[in-house]
Amino acid sequence: MMRSKLSGIWRKAEQSKLFFPLLALAIILLFDLITVPGFFNIQIRNGNLYGSLVDIFRNASVVMLLAIGMTLVIATGGIDLSVGAVMAIAASVAALLMNPYVLATELPPNLMKLINDPNFTYQPLWVVLLVTLLVSILCGLWNGLLVAYIRIQPMVATLILMIAGRGIAQLITNGVRIQIFYQPYAFIGQGWIVLPFSLYLVAFVYALAWLLTRRTAIGLFIESVGINFRSSYFSGIDEKKVKLLAYAFCGLCAGIAGLVASSNIKTSDAFNLGQTLELDAILAVVIGGTLMSGGRFSLLASLIGVLIIQAITTSMYAFGVPAFALQAIKSVVVIFVILLYSEQVKVLVRKLTTQKEA
Amino acid sequence: MFRFKTLVVLIAVVAMILPACQPAAPKAGLKCAPNCEYKDLVVGFLQTGSEGGWRAANTASFKETADQLGLKLKFYDSQNDLAKQVAGFNQFIQDPEVNVIVLAALETTGWEDVLKQAKDAGKIVVIEDRRIDASEDLYATYIGSDFAEEGRKSADEMCKLLEGMEGKNVWELVGNVGSSAAKDRGQGFREKMGACGIEVTKSQTANWSITEGKQVTEAWLKETQDVQGIFAQNDEMGLGAIEALKEAGLTPGVDVKILSVDATAGAFKAMLAGDLNVTVECNPLLAPQVYEAALKAANGETLPKWVPSQEGVFRSDDPNLQTVTDGRKY
Repeated sequence: MMRSKLSGIWRKAEQSKLFFPLLALAIILLFDLITVPGFFNIQIRNGNLYGSLVDIFRNASVVMLLAIGMTLVIATGGIDLSVGAVMAIAASVAALLMNPYVLATELPPNLMKLINDPNFTYQPLWVVLLVTLLVSILCGLWNGLLVAYIRIQPMVATLILMIAGRGIAQLITNGVRIQIFYQPYAFIGQGWIVLPFSLYLVAFVYALAWLLTRRTAIGLFIESVGINFRSSYFSGIDEKKVKLLAYAFCGLCAGIAGLVASSNIKTSDAFNLGQTLELDAILAVVIGGTLMSGGRFSLLASLIGVLIIQAITTSMYAFGVPAFALQAIKSVVVIFVILLYSEQVKVLVRKLTTQKEA
Repeated sequence: MFRFKTLVVLIAVVAMILPACQPAAPKAGLKCAPNCEYKDLVVGFLQTGSEGGWRAANTASFKETADQLGLKLKFYDSQNDLAKQVAGFNQFIQDPEVNVIVLAALETTGWEDVLKQAKDAGKIVVIEDRRIDASEDLYATYIGSDFAEEGRKSADEMCKLLEGMEGKNVWELVGNVGSSAAKDRGQGFREKMGACGIEVTKSQTANWSITEGKQVTEAWLKETQDVQGIFAQNDEMGLGAIEALKEAGLTPGVDVKILSVDATAGAFKAMLAGDLNVTVECNPLLAPQVYEAALKAANGETLPKWVPSQEGVFRSDDPNLQTVTDGRKY
């Protein structure tokens, strides 16, 4: 009796979207617990939490923001390769609004004093944030327009902005890396209120996405468009607008991620910022169990997917893997994680548990 | 179809005749030798792209110095694409005006053919910043940094910083794995570090970036804080390490000595704040040396095949640091 109950719980847990991502995360953390002493220590330093676990969360925050938007896009059956480039555009716009003198032909006489003043900014912070986020939403709308209305395949449509976006970002800053000296801006990526401020941003964006998709019908619309956009159309869902919304939201998320990343390094590094992060975001969504073909999605599972990737990286550093082996070992772990909840492995596990029952 | 074939044949014939039409290349130097001046030079410059602060300063140096010396510069941005760079090289070879080609190569190998063509066309080729593997008589000279020497200088400076300390554990933040700068800086550092008993206890790549420099350092700090020095192979990674140390409650520059390579503006700012101890210069302002070498080659002089760029070391305890900083261009 006991055993059959156990396997019943197992079956129920297994059906939950969160189960396998959580299991994978637990295995990685268990590995850390055994091999890296003090990995789980959390102390309080200057009133803030300090420890490896906090690092994992903080370093994951940029990709978490991307993954939230990416989940919605992938759920509509699309993909957005341009999020890294949109991050670079956002960072460039923000940096330019705060410190446009880099591009000026005539410099103000007290330039050095202005630059070394941590309270100096050309535009107030709310203008900087508002304009940056509007530009990012615009980038998302552009992608949505190409995919939904002009019917270009999502991979091709967003590839355009992925390549061109970095060029646009470099055009905005005239190829210069603009340094950011404004202290309040640095708080976005580096500030702490017991926990890193960027995590509150993640929580806010997550809550927004959750309310949008689970408290209104939009979530259902997205899933139905992802499963079959034609039948959705015939059942009265405006699939074009749903897609447009998903891409625009993804653009917004990328913009916020760009703000966090650029405030982390205090420059607008148009060339490197967000480079290859689109792939991390997509990988996280896949690890989270959302199918690339679209349909049902889980935002929380995608976030756990990001944590898995970041936990792998952080434990590799702590474990002291040599530099040249880092990428290879990471990929082995990722393969292992994805294997963990492939259909075949699930069937195998089910067989094993039923055998026990007999 | 017939027309297409004729066209192909025609093109093939023209392609064969054209090189034959070109005048025989002079043995050494240009027509104006031995009295060439800077204004006689028309330089075609093949830049790699625009990947960061160092590269931007390098490009600016070429443009500014060209204006100052009164020579004509044709700038070509290869956008980090080898095919584009080779196409640009061919364009300069065809350009009758250009007589000097400066190359910051994206790849170390595969330049033999175009270099031969350039030589036949009588162009002087100067390699800058990145070394190439090609027969030495195909180009005039290579001007660039001695990365290994930068590593050795770093080790000497680190020795001075750690003098009198009991433990001499140093952590190393490595650049892109496989890049010559990362390899040679690491090697040079190891050659000299034994002299004062430095031990590299941890070494990991942070891909030249602030974010990764911080991530790697903070992960290490969770494990042990027995570290006396950090050797960052570029300034950005060093700045990341500084952030991580501050968060861990350590004072960078005092508790842990920090040394980085490049000497960019960010490093000077950190030194003025007392966070960074030493930065070893990797000079991007190579244009004066490159143009000088090109002029000498134009006048028929033979040059050494490698002219190391002039580079210094800057320390945070230098009393003139503020004036030095104000005079920096990048």
